[in-house]
Amino acid sequence: MLLLTALSFLEPIINSFRLGGIQSSAIGFFPRLLGPSLEHPLGTDHFGRDVFAMLLTGLKNSLIVGFLVGAVSTTIAIIVAFFAAYKGGVIDNLLNSLTNIILILPAWAIAAAAVAYIQRLDLLYIALVISAFAWAGPARSIRAQVLSLKSRPYVELARMIGERDFEILFFELLPNVFPYIVVGFAYSVIGGILAETGLRLIGLGAAEIITLGLLLHLYMTSGLIVQGYYHFIVGPVLVLVCIFVSLNLINMGLDELFNPRLRRVTGE
Amino acid sequence: MSLYKEQLKRYIIRKIISYVIVLFLAITAVFFILRLIPGNPIRAYVYMLRSRYGFEPVGDVTIRMFEEMFGLNQDIFTQYVIFLRRLFLELNLGPSFIAFPTPAQELILRHLPWTIILLSVTTVFSWLVGLLLGVLVGWKRGTRFDNVFFTLSLVFSQIPYYILAVILLLLFAYIIPVLPSRGAYAATLMTFDINFVLSAFQHALLPASSIIIVSMMGWLISTRSLAITILGEDYLQYALAKGLSTRRILTRYILRNTLLPQATGLAMSLGFILSGAFLVEWIFVYPGMGTLFVSSIGLLDFNVLQGIIMLTIFAVLTANLLMDLIYPIIDPRVALT
Repeated sequence: MLLLTALSFLEPIINSFRLGGIQSSAIGFFPRLLGPSLEHPLGTDHFGRDVFAMLLTGLKNSLIVGFLVGAVSTTIAIIVAFFAAYKGGVIDNLLNSLTNIILILPAWAIAAAAVAYIQRLDLLYIALVISAFAWAGPARSIRAQVLSLKSRPYVELARMIGERDFEILFFELLPNVFPYIVVGFAYSVIGGILAETGLRLIGLGAAEIITLGLLLHLYMTSGLIVQGYYHFIVGPVLVLVCIFVSLNLINMGLDELFNPRLRRVTGE
Repeated sequence: MSLYKEQLKRYIIRKIISYVIVLFLAITAVFFILRLIPGNPIRAYVYMLRSRYGFEPVGDVTIRMFEEMFGLNQDIFTQYVIFLRRLFLELNLGPSFIAFPTPAQELILRHLPWTIILLSVTTVFSWLVGLLLGVLVGWKRGTRFDNVFFTLSLVFSQIPYYILAVILLLLFAYIIPVLPSRGAYAATLMTFDINFVLSAFQHALLPASSIIIVSMMGWLISTRSLAITILGEDYLQYALAKGLSTRRILTRYILRNTLLPQATGLAMSLGFILSGAFLVEWIFVYPGMGTLFVSSIGLLDFNVLQGIIMLTIFAVLTANLLMDLIYPIIDPRVALT
């Protein structure tokens, strides 16, 4: 399933082949509101754009945001979690309560309010705002894991033979927390796509940057549904459902792989 | 016993103190996050008008006057003190920008009941059904019944509410137009009578089912795995060997033991009833907080936005506190730690 989504990373190639080097968001290149045909598999919209091409671009951009959020928030999570768990004491208390407070905040709502004033929003900016809230969950689980590993004999041993803090963190602890990091990453990717789609759905962000959320917004609010042009919405919705379901299945697979105890419970 | 009471008292006091501290910190954090964003809402609004209509709506003097009116010209700490004083002494969230001078809390209170009714009913309903189905599915694990439900729940529990809302909207309001697509009641009904209730129910059906289906499937999965764990326990083997009726085993043994952890989950999710389905509400133009929130975003009505966020934080934390306070009744050991 994810193969399908990953293949769509080839979007630039497919689109340049099909459209001959026009931006898929360029307005009025094709006749308006054509039905689905071989040339335009999903038809064209009320601005004369090829919906299928926009869908691919949107997919690419949505995935980019997702992975950006995943990368940024996981990095923050790793740094915070390791620093807190390894140093302990006051620093741990402070960072831990910060994490807990962020977990309580209605992240999506704050992100939406925060983004609302900003006139020029690009993908990176949206991803950063979302990441600012998305790191707390992974940070908590990684911290718990580091705490439990910290007192293991081999870490004590490493300390005794005079490895520096940095070395212990990097070479002894990091490999053992890795599964948690990967799972945290996958969850932040899902969360990122979800949040970004939500933000774009209500019409935030620049209209030139097509993502799946923007497509939904466009076709939901433009009155096309009332006129019976349902197929515009079906595309983005289906793609989004595929993304969420496949990413989650992958995630559960990872969970099972790294955490054999779960195997009994989740899947037979 | 008196020792336990002493500890219980200390536990309760500790929880309440941390509740107050966290609430205060969270409110402070939100305030500063929203104020430290570059640009202020009034200038952004002017910019929006200018780029939309292509002329200068107001001059610099007017902008400054507005900034003064909303206290945006002071430095951020003065603003913070004013904000706190207003919030705690007058329970005032500040004037709305668009509906000036109506205070933000008045707007919010007008929308609050719809959200609370919609979300509390759906949350409790989906919890109940998910729990019962989960126990059944867990009991019949490995059968076709289990396979069908488990696969369905794997798919549906992963879809965000709003995607399902869009799908349902398309299916049942447009392609097969059987249900209304927007609003919470027919606009022609002005009095509160049976017709109004029926119309409200009809309008709530689509938004409610998009929430119920997704969250029910989530409960189903977690209950199923709990039930399967319980099925492996020794006492259950004993109950089976004793020849107790299936019904008794299901209700007395499995359901009862899944109830405790799932009740905690329910309390948690009740905390999110204010913020849980902003987008679903907006998609169906349901007159709740979500719709208010989204339209306030479009209009940059910053005090209303801030107020809604504060209120949702308050709801989440209060639900957590209540759960913490009820917990010793269910499991007395927690007070001892």
